[in-house]
Amino acid sequence: MPGIAERNNVHVRGTGETAMMFAHGFGCDQNMWRFVAPAFEEQFRTVLFDHVGAGGSDPRAYDKNKYSSLAGYADDVVEIGRELDLTDAVFVGHSVSSMIGVLAAERAPGMFGKLVLVGPSPRYIDDEGYRGGFTPEQIEELLQFLDSNHMGWSTQMAPVIMGNPDRPELGQELTNSFCRTDPEIAKAFARVTFTSDNRSDLTRLAVPALVLQCSDDIIAGKEVGDFVSRTIPDCRMIVLNATGHCPNLSAPEEVISAMRTFV
Amino acid sequence: MIENAPCGYISLLPDGRIGHVNRTFLGWSGHATGQMVGKRLSDFLTIAGRIYYETHIAPLLRKQAAFEEVAIDAVKADGQPLPLIANVAERRDRDGKPLSIRLALIKATDRRRYEQELLGARELAKAAEKAAEEKLQREQEASELREQFIAVLGHDLRNPLASISAGARLLDRTVQSEKERQIIAMMQTTVTRMAGLIDNVLDLARGRLRGGIGLDRDANQLLEPALGGVVDELRLASPGRVIETEFQLDRPVNCDPARLAQMLSNLVGNALMHGNSSKPVIVHANTREGRFELWVSNSGQPIPAVAMGRLFEPFFRGNAHASRQGLGLGLYISSQIAKAHGGRLTVSSTSEETRFTFEMPLA
Repeated sequence: MPGIAERNNVHVRGTGETAMMFAHGFGCDQNMWRFVAPAFEEQFRTVLFDHVGAGGSDPRAYDKNKYSSLAGYADDVVEIGRELDLTDAVFVGHSVSSMIGVLAAERAPGMFGKLVLVGPSPRYIDDEGYRGGFTPEQIEELLQFLDSNHMGWSTQMAPVIMGNPDRPELGQELTNSFCRTDPEIAKAFARVTFTSDNRSDLTRLAVPALVLQCSDDIIAGKEVGDFVSRTIPDCRMIVLNATGHCPNLSAPEEVISAMRTFV
Repeated sequence: MIENAPCGYISLLPDGRIGHVNRTFLGWSGHATGQMVGKRLSDFLTIAGRIYYETHIAPLLRKQAAFEEVAIDAVKADGQPLPLIANVAERRDRDGKPLSIRLALIKATDRRRYEQELLGARELAKAAEKAAEEKLQREQEASELREQFIAVLGHDLRNPLASISAGARLLDRTVQSEKERQIIAMMQTTVTRMAGLIDNVLDLARGRLRGGIGLDRDANQLLEPALGGVVDELRLASPGRVIETEFQLDRPVNCDPARLAQMLSNLVGNALMHGNSSKPVIVHANTREGRFELWVSNSGQPIPAVAMGRLFEPFFRGNAHASRQGLGLGLYISSQIAKAHGGRLTVSSTSEETRFTFEMPLA
C-alpha cells in the first residue's frame, strides 16, 4: 500500500502560512494548474495532486467500488488534507473537482476555509426545474462514445512533440500524464462525473465560495453557474471573459486576478 | 490549393471561433461556409465530441502547441455523424498567446467502423471466455460433488456389507446340511465381490479428488506371499476353475503390496469372467533385469478391436455377460495403480490368448 503522497502524486510548493489546494477535473491532471498555481506560491503553500487513475497517481490504488461515486474522491482529498495537516485552507477545484471540494469540506469541517469553484456543475443532466445542459440521452451518448471508443482513447492522445523546440519537457510531461491514464478508469471517471447529482450538497456548504464562470462554456453553462452561486449559502460569482471550459489554461491571468479578489 | 486539398481544413480564431473552412470539408459535411464561420467548432461536433474537445483537446493544445491523430466526431448538415481524424496545431505569438488553431481533417468512417468491429469482437471474445470459464467452474464443482458423493456412499456401503459377512460366518458355525453350507459360501463369495467393487469405487473417487492413487511403498517387499494369497482366495471363490501360477520372484520389489494384490485380483477376476471356463488362467510373475513383471492370461474370444483402445477408461464395460458385469472400474483402477508405481499395464489379445501385462522397475 503506497503512501497518500505517492498514491495521489502530491506536490507541495510555496512558502505561505495558509495552504491552497488545487484539484483537477475530468480529462486532465495537475498540469491543468501550471499557469495558475505558481502565482500563489509566494503567499500560499500550494498543494497539487492527481486523482487516482489520472496523471502520475498510482494506478494500483484504483478501487472500482470506492471511485464509483465522487465521495471516494472526496475521501482522498480529506486524507491528503489530514496528511498535510491543513486547516482553514483554500480549495480550488476545476470542473468535477468543484463538487469533490464541496463534499470534502462537509466531511472535514475546519480543513477548508474557502472554496474556489472553476466551471462547477452539481448535475449535468436536466431535471424538473433544473437545466444541467444535457439530456439523459446525450450523456448516455457520451458514455457510449467513451465505451465504444476506448481503443481510440488509449492511442488518440499520443502526442507528438512539435512547435516547442525550446521546451521539449512539455511533450515529455504529456506522455507521462494524459497518455498514462488507463482508458477503463477514464471511462469510469466520466460515468461518475456526468451522472452525479450534488445539488443538495451545495446547500450544506458552511464556508464562503467563489464561482468562476466562463462566458461560453458548453459543459457547465452560465445557467448552471447561477444555480450554484444561488444555492450555496455564502457564494459569489465572477463571470470571466474567457471562453470554453478550461480558463485555468486558456486565460490564467484572468483566473488569477479573479481569485485574488477572494483569497 | 488548400480549398480543394484531399483533406478537410479548418482554422480557428484565438477565441476559438471558426475563421475559415475549406471546400473539401464543406463538401463532406454538407454545411455552407456562412453556417460555420463565426461559430465555435464545438457547435459542429457530436455531444461526445464536444465534451472530449473541451476536456481533452483544448487543454492539450494550450499545454503543447500541436498534436496528431486525434479522433473527433463532427455532425453533418443532415444530422449524421462524420467520424474524423485530426492533426491540430496552435500558432502562437512571442508571449505564447494563441494566434490561431489549425485543423487538418481526414475522414475516418471506415476506420472507425473497423475499430468498432474489433471492439465488438473483443467484447464477444471476452464474453465467450467468461462463459466458458463459468461453465468449466460449474462442471468442476459438479464433478467434485459427484465424487464426494461416491466416496461417502462407498464408505457407508462397507458397514452393512461387513454385518452380512459376519452374520454369514456365524451361521456357518451352526448349519447342518451341505446345501445350507453352499448357500453361505455363495453369500461370502458375493460379499467379497461386492467389497471389491466398493474398493474400486472408493479408489476412483479418491484418485480423482486427490489427483492419483496413493501408495504405501515398501522397498524390501517380497511379493510371493501377497500374490499367492490373492490366487488362493480366488481359487476358493471359483471352484471348478483352474488358476496356474508361475512365480520367479527372487528379488524384493519397491511397491505397495496391497495395491499390487488389488491389481492382480482385478486381472484374475476378469480372466475368470471373460475367459474360456474349460481352460486355465495363468498368473506369471518374475523379477528379471531390474524389472518386475506380472501377467495374467486366459484363452477364449479375443477382445474386439474397437474395445481395445478404451479398456482402461473408467466405466468402460465390454458387452459380455451383462448380468455379471461390474462397474467398469477394475482395469481403470489397475492402470492407475500401475502408473502410481512408475510402471504400466498393457494388453494383448489374439484368438489364442488374452494377456494383461504389468511391468515396473524393481527399485
